[in-house]
Amino acid sequence: MGQVTRQRTTLDVRGEICPYPMLRAKEAMEGAALDEVLDLLTDHPPALTTVPWQAQKLGFTAEVQELGGAEWKITLSRPDDT
Amino acid sequence: MAAMTSVAAPTSASQSRWSYSTTAGAIAAAVALGFALVLGRVWAAAAIYWIVGLAVGFVLQRSRFCFTAAFRDLFLLGDGRMLRGVLAGLGVATVGFAFVMYNYVPRLAPEHFPAFAGISPVGPTTLIAGLIFGFGMVIAGGCMSGNLYRIGEGYVASVVALLGMLGGLIVMMLTWNWWYEVLIAHQPMVWLPHTLGWTGAVVLTLLGLLGVYALLVWWEQRADMLMPAFPAGPELPPTSVREHWAGVLRRVFVTGWPAVGGGVALGVVGILSYLYERPVGVTGELGRWSHGLFEALGGWHVELAGADLGPCMAVVAGVFATKELYMVLGLIAGSFVAALLAGEFKIRVPRQGRRYAQAIGGGVLMGYGAGLGIGCTLGAFFASIPSLSLSGWVFGLGLLAGAWAGVQAIRRIG
Repeated sequence: MGQVTRQRTTLDVRGEICPYPMLRAKEAMEGAALDEVLDLLTDHPPALTTVPWQAQKLGFTAEVQELGGAEWKITLSRPDDT
Repeated sequence: MAAMTSVAAPTSASQSRWSYSTTAGAIAAAVALGFALVLGRVWAAAAIYWIVGLAVGFVLQRSRFCFTAAFRDLFLLGDGRMLRGVLAGLGVATVGFAFVMYNYVPRLAPEHFPAFAGISPVGPTTLIAGLIFGFGMVIAGGCMSGNLYRIGEGYVASVVALLGMLGGLIVMMLTWNWWYEVLIAHQPMVWLPHTLGWTGAVVLTLLGLLGVYALLVWWEQRADMLMPAFPAGPELPPTSVREHWAGVLRRVFVTGWPAVGGGVALGVVGILSYLYERPVGVTGELGRWSHGLFEALGGWHVELAGADLGPCMAVVAGVFATKELYMVLGLIAGSFVAALLAGEFKIRVPRQGRRYAQAIGGGVLMGYGAGLGIGCTLGAFFASIPSLSLSGWVFGLGLLAGAWAGVQAIRRIG
């Protein structure tokens, strides 16, 4: 797979509670370039459910990575094959 | 740059490891259950409420249950994921509550109401209370029980919201008699079994919930947001007994539960609690705290009219501990245990000053609304509809309208 470097943006929404992490993620996904990858940093557990849910609706995949200390990184991107 | 992997599951089950947080959670769980044993020796009723509280806090934290999201996300996103959980819980509780209430009131006479049921005088105040509460919960980002379990997860803003609620309840206490004389005293207690019989009341309530579900599906379709089911990820079957149990434990204690599972579990805990004595609620106890706080701060004693109106009214002020106190403390402790076990506990401080203002402002509105409505999303809604009371539906309608207004407000706040 000839993976080129994609544009990568980090959104730090730590400290924010619902609905803000999900709203920020939604805004970012809607404004993202086609091959852009978004990294959402959050410490709000409900976002681990709401963000992938919203991502799915917008055609993004969401990968949740546990960073430890009750912080997570959710990586949002459009699938390669679209 | 690493190639991106496509993970379709809601949460990718990546690292499953034992951490300090898990150990702390196991210790906290042992302490919480040990406390139940000790308390049970001296005060059995308090110990039972402590355990009910632990169960509620655990369920709310694990399923990230949120009455606020259930109403708010309909307008913010056209999404009914959480409302489905609420409806499922209401359906389960409706059937269970009917059996419990039948034991309280086997013979239907107009003057008989089941004890401790969530039945309130229904009328304009019910709607106004729901409106104020619904608006407040969207502003604060969580309802009363929501903020209580978030305290257990380490949210500092929720402590601020709690102070706001106590403030709102004090203002309510000072204005209650006016509301009572002008409106509440003239509002009827409408309990469906009185007019429809047991079967009719249960069937109508269940049909009502089904109707709301149908409206919800229509609403999502209309918003072009009907959620495709998550395609099943490449989940491999467990290859050993050990792996099987690791998966089970992970789904219970680490991964967030689905909303419907949380709603059903909350409904079942509510039934068990009512089977013992009364449904789950927090407003009466917080009201009692607010009265005590007011008097401790030099306020005068306020005699509330119609103080027999229901379990969510604060009637015993000046007593240090009631058994319901243990339900509220248990709720916070249960969430604390669940958050530690899942590795989700953290002292969280908002980075923006306006979030504190939202917490306190929303808290005050919720306190006032819960006082007027004689209950919060738990007592006046989640326990009231299964109590076959009309007031739960009217309060819910108020919550819906209040949440809509709240969404307009938070869109401006940003």
